[in-house]
Amino acid sequence: MICAEQVSYSYSGGGQTVSDLSFRIEKGEFVAILGENGAGKTTTVKLIDGLLRPTSGRMLVNGLDTAKTRVSERAKQVGFLFQNPDRQICKNTVREEIAFGLRAVWGKQEEEKIRARTDELLALFSFRGDEEPFSLSRGQRQQVALASTLAVKPAVLILDEPTTGLDYRECTRIMEFIKTLNETEGTTVVMVCHDMEVVLDYARRALVMAGGRLLADGPVHEIFRDTALMEKASLLPPQIVQIAGRLGGDYAHADDAETLSGLIAAAAERRRA
Amino acid sequence: MIELQSLTFRYAGADRDALHDITLTIPDGAFLGIIGPAGAGKSTLAHAIGGIVPHAVHGDFYGAVRVNGLDTADTRLTDLSRIVGTVFQDVESQIISSVVEDELLYGLENFGVPREEIEERMTFALEEVGIAALRNRTIASLSGGQRQKVAIASLVALRPKILVLDEPTGELDPSSSRQIFSLLRTLNREYGMTVVVVEQKIMLLCEFAERLAVLNEGRIERLGEVREVLGDIAGLEAIGVNCPRSARFSSLLGEKTGQPVPVCVNADEAVEAARRVIG
Amino acid sequence: MNGLFQYVPGNSPLHRMNPVTKILLTLSVCIAAFLTDNLFVLLFLLVFDLMIGVAAGAARKAFSIFKGLFKVSLFLFVLQVLFIRRGNRLFWIVTDEGLLTAAAVVLRLLVVCLPLALILTVTQVSDIANAMVQVLHVPYAYAFTLTTAIRFIPQFMEEMGGIMESQTARGVEFDSKNVFKKLGMLFPLCAPLLISSVRRTGATATAAEVRGFNLRTRESGYKRYGFGLVDLAAVLISAALIVGAVLIP
Repeated sequence: MICAEQVSYSYSGGGQTVSDLSFRIEKGEFVAILGENGAGKTTTVKLIDGLLRPTSGRMLVNGLDTAKTRVSERAKQVGFLFQNPDRQICKNTVREEIAFGLRAVWGKQEEEKIRARTDELLALFSFRGDEEPFSLSRGQRQQVALASTLAVKPAVLILDEPTTGLDYRECTRIMEFIKTLNETEGTTVVMVCHDMEVVLDYARRALVMAGGRLLADGPVHEIFRDTALMEKASLLPPQIVQIAGRLGGDYAHADDAETLSGLIAAAAERRRA
Repeated sequence: MIELQSLTFRYAGADRDALHDITLTIPDGAFLGIIGPAGAGKSTLAHAIGGIVPHAVHGDFYGAVRVNGLDTADTRLTDLSRIVGTVFQDVESQIISSVVEDELLYGLENFGVPREEIEERMTFALEEVGIAALRNRTIASLSGGQRQKVAIASLVALRPKILVLDEPTGELDPSSSRQIFSLLRTLNREYGMTVVVVEQKIMLLCEFAERLAVLNEGRIERLGEVREVLGDIAGLEAIGVNCPRSARFSSLLGEKTGQPVPVCVNADEAVEAARRVIG
Repeated sequence: MNGLFQYVPGNSPLHRMNPVTKILLTLSVCIAAFLTDNLFVLLFLLVFDLMIGVAAGAARKAFSIFKGLFKVSLFLFVLQVLFIRRGNRLFWIVTDEGLLTAAAVVLRLLVVCLPLALILTVTQVSDIANAMVQVLHVPYAYAFTLTTAIRFIPQFMEEMGGIMESQTARGVEFDSKNVFKKLGMLFPLCAPLLISSVRRTGATATAAEVRGFNLRTRESGYKRYGFGLVDLAAVLISAALIVGAVLIP
């Protein structure tokens, strides 16, 4: 699905660069990209989306070289949800906003199809079509942005810190939505996220970056348990993984509060018996 | 000391109160965290302490807010800001100058700080906040975390007794977020500044705040020591407030073993509690 | 655009000059350019501009501004040449007077624009504003408007870039060659940009008020802007430029 072949990129005005990235992401995966600020995470997802073109190497999405693909063609394949929904939303009603992205990709001739798809999304997100996006809360605006990103049914969905500025409930709603999409439609998800708990709960694989390079690539659980790696990337693993790791032994592999507390309670029970 | 007495505020044109009948006392030297779901009134509360509500925001204001004994409704915003420094949620819009040094000078100049004292105060603020090296940089060339620090430094230079921050780490990564909170701790502990911070990241509040206020629909739902508030996980989740996983873990452990397990606010405490249970 | 107004730190005589003197020098160049019709004087002024750029240690920038203006100038030149009908016909529809007038207009444009851009390279806007308040007694509110406007240019560009990126990601093609099509596409972007700007302006006003905007007086500025020998030299040069422009026919 996504194939990076020794991709490097440097900004003309200086700034963070990425070098020699090689990885493959298959259809239906849920991948998180981790690393501290300036590690090159956002640059990497922009390279996947084709917003940036590699200075050397190749980035293939669905077999197409991003450097040679037209913007509208690429937008059919890859959806990008940014941190700030307000840079995306530019129409006066939620309905128009969703239709705007569809028109850009499908063309204006498809009005019938666009209307039908817009209705579908309005129902899915339980939006009122005539609502003004700017009268909504930040979390709701992020959902409007997500709806219009998903409208064209992209095969790949990229999320760049999608939960910034959202409260717990809004964050859960967005992430649950994406999870369902990943599980039922097989949408490939690539996510940049600073909240390790969210990564643990939703992503299955993680790419760890530092200084513009790929440090590690593996299942989320293994990555989080690698304390040396976490330290090298200046990351703090999720609390339960930390607790389980320090308890060691049989407990080391638990990564949610329910399992870990169950194991410990059972051990205490055994000792008493 | 900050005293809010039956404070109710409704934005002009709104159909419900942003804050409803809030009574709260924050003693000098406190480090209070405010958390709650979107639309709970957190920003409004923060702005009410600094007098921005009602002075710069239109709406119906009932009740009273007093800082250091001054009634905010009767005191000019400029006079209030000598006592309370507020860092806005959108820190971008708060920074007026193009260069770091000018940003710090701005308030000092306006408040008529004597010339001999200006340099000393400026150096102090820059060093305390850890941005002495950025003194001559342009704002445009700084990262989000650095801009946040500039905004804080420009207030610290004015030596307010109270610092109010509205989601200072909203756009920052984990390590910059921790730096900001460590800085707040220093200001709180070493200089006795009262810190009131609105924050969504519960783990930061657990680590740095002393007390926690949970806001929902314009009302204070919970108020107390961090540990005390986190005791009721189900209640907090019903409001829409996330708890650290260590606290969820300790509460589950208590449930499953039938033993009393103290509320754990970080991994260290959880490990200790687990070891005690295992024996 | 972004780099054009950016201050470049340095310690040249021009950097050290009183901001008010710099304004005087800039204005004198402009006035001289409008007083004269003599092409040689205009050419001299242009060289003078570039020399100032070199003296400020911003030679490359001066030349790049010059290059940027050159295209516009060329367009203007052709337009003038084609439209001025007076004078003797040289060839096709081109007249001698047309050529001379066009050359003067274009040179004047270059002469005037260069120092206006250069002054921001060697002076921080806050210094211009402060000096204007201290020395020229300009009301502070005007100076504040100027400084904040300049302060928000990079931010505005950043925001614009972010919006263009967001829209490109959803399939809007800005790489269209057709100018009208491109304008039509940029138009919808104005909505989010306008909303975020308006939201910010209110907050900035409050931020300024909270930090004593209303208390500021002419004496508030911490930095003092004295006059030195460089300033005296600049004043003399300014006078010479204007006198020269008037006297040389």
